[in-house]
Amino acid sequence: MSKTVCPRCATGGALDDYQGKEGGKVVWTIHRCPTCCFSWRDSEPASAIGIGIRSADFAVDAANLDRYVKILQQ
Amino acid sequence: MMQDLAKRSRSITSLRDFLELLGDAGQAITWSERVMPEPDVRNIAVAASRDANGAPAIVFDNIAGYPGKRTAVGVHGSWDNIALLLGRPKGTTIRELFFEIAGRWGDAAAQISIVPEGQAPVHECRIESGINLYDVLPVFRINEYDGGFYLGKASVASRDPEDPDNFGKQNVGIYRLQLQGPDSFTLMTIPSHDMGRQIMAAERTGLPLKIAVMLGNHPGLAVFAATPIGYEESEYSYASAMMGAPIRLTKSGNGIDILADSEIVIEAEMQLGERVLEGPFGEFPGSYSGVRKAPIFKVTAISHRKNPIFENIYIGRGWTEHDTLIGLHTSAPIYAQLRQNFPEVTAVNALYQHGLTGIISVKNRMAGFAKTVALRALSTPHGVMYLKNLIMVDADVDPFDLNQVMWALSTRTRADDIIVLLNMPAVPIDPSAVVPGKGHRLIIDATSYLPPDPVGEAHLVTPPTGPDIDELSKKIRAMQLGALQ
Repeated sequence: MSKTVCPRCATGGALDDYQGKEGGKVVWTIHRCPTCCFSWRDSEPASAIGIGIRSADFAVDAANLDRYVKILQQ
Repeated sequence: MMQDLAKRSRSITSLRDFLELLGDAGQAITWSERVMPEPDVRNIAVAASRDANGAPAIVFDNIAGYPGKRTAVGVHGSWDNIALLLGRPKGTTIRELFFEIAGRWGDAAAQISIVPEGQAPVHECRIESGINLYDVLPVFRINEYDGGFYLGKASVASRDPEDPDNFGKQNVGIYRLQLQGPDSFTLMTIPSHDMGRQIMAAERTGLPLKIAVMLGNHPGLAVFAATPIGYEESEYSYASAMMGAPIRLTKSGNGIDILADSEIVIEAEMQLGERVLEGPFGEFPGSYSGVRKAPIFKVTAISHRKNPIFENIYIGRGWTEHDTLIGLHTSAPIYAQLRQNFPEVTAVNALYQHGLTGIISVKNRMAGFAKTVALRALSTPHGVMYLKNLIMVDADVDPFDLNQVMWALSTRTRADDIIVLLNMPAVPIDPSAVVPGKGHRLIIDATSYLPPDPVGEAHLVTPPTGPDIDELSKKIRAMQLGALQ
């Protein structure tokens, strides 16, 4: 399990989905949180991905995922 | 000149054709200075969309970490670009564009031509294993707090799972897609949309739902396929009829009719019954949608042209490309539907936030008549959910000229000339709703006082109006621009 922590739900274990490269050198990495499905690029401004800096209004509570509605239920 | 423009418009078959046309007219630029995916692409797109009349399409070809890849934004991002798509010159007024589209409504025939798969440009390159969407799509975060990387301008084609051979029941619509890893994405829709119906039908019956996601398309499809037409009407046929030109179709690898000249097509299958977290997404009212659990699709193959252009959109707090993309084609159907009952309606401006505010001009027949027309507007297919604030003006007021609308509000509205309808249906993402999906409607009658109203119309100043004055306005503008060169 990776140590990368999700900036949205503060859970560890984020996956590495893609690396942007130039001349063989990694420029940035796209991560994805398997808990809250947030994806981010590690080159984004801290206002979007900085833990403790990012707006708390957009946090997801990993302990309470049942509160989110399922769309298109029969 | 006008005929040349119209002919060239009808010869467009692809995004590339249109970008070339736009480039020739000074309406497309290439951004070759190195940019970061975030926040630079968003910042540049927002800066461009400040000029709703004249913003160019922008093609980025030097995005950090995406060597050799290209992203286009703002293809439909200004009235001048929409004018060129419709075969009209730059500087055509919004009112003229509205009547251009309204005039085509119901008055043209579809022309569909079939291209063998082996000859379709979209299939030039094919990926069937080791799929990673990020290899092909130079995505960027559209708004800062979006839940992930979105495809905001994808036309999604699908067949009715219960009637897969029916061409008309094939659906093409624009839905927001959030990438969920290298080979998966979620799709957001609601039960009343065609895709929502198909997803629910597939899950009810256990039948597979396969889709083809088209990116970088014929620019007419994005304008006309977003229109709510009947479930059994083909969006391809409709787009062809409205463009007055053939649409070239081919088959995707999973058997769906797709545009033969799209830049990229992603084939995918829904994972029946599965839902994962989707959102937020900065939506057209200028606010974020919430987080919900949405259906997830697994990618089975990708086709793309050589050196494909990834087309995306900036959408958020207006004015944005979304407003110019769908504004006129939100207005024209309401106009056509109203005129079936009320030929007194002379124009409909529903450009604002997909028609959350609309302005309707009408030849007023008697006191209160405009209010009756407004109530009819609320029962049009788009009006049911979207027309929240309606301003009714007389036929001598151009609803596309907000200075004239404000004059009507100032001089022809009494405080009791309003109707408030409580607890009506509302667009779930309208932030002013009482609860998502339920809210109030407002009708402001800004028409003149007619009998039996005792006040009567004031003695109006009648400044010169009409085509001669319109031409003089254009001449003044042209002289002004010429003086600056």
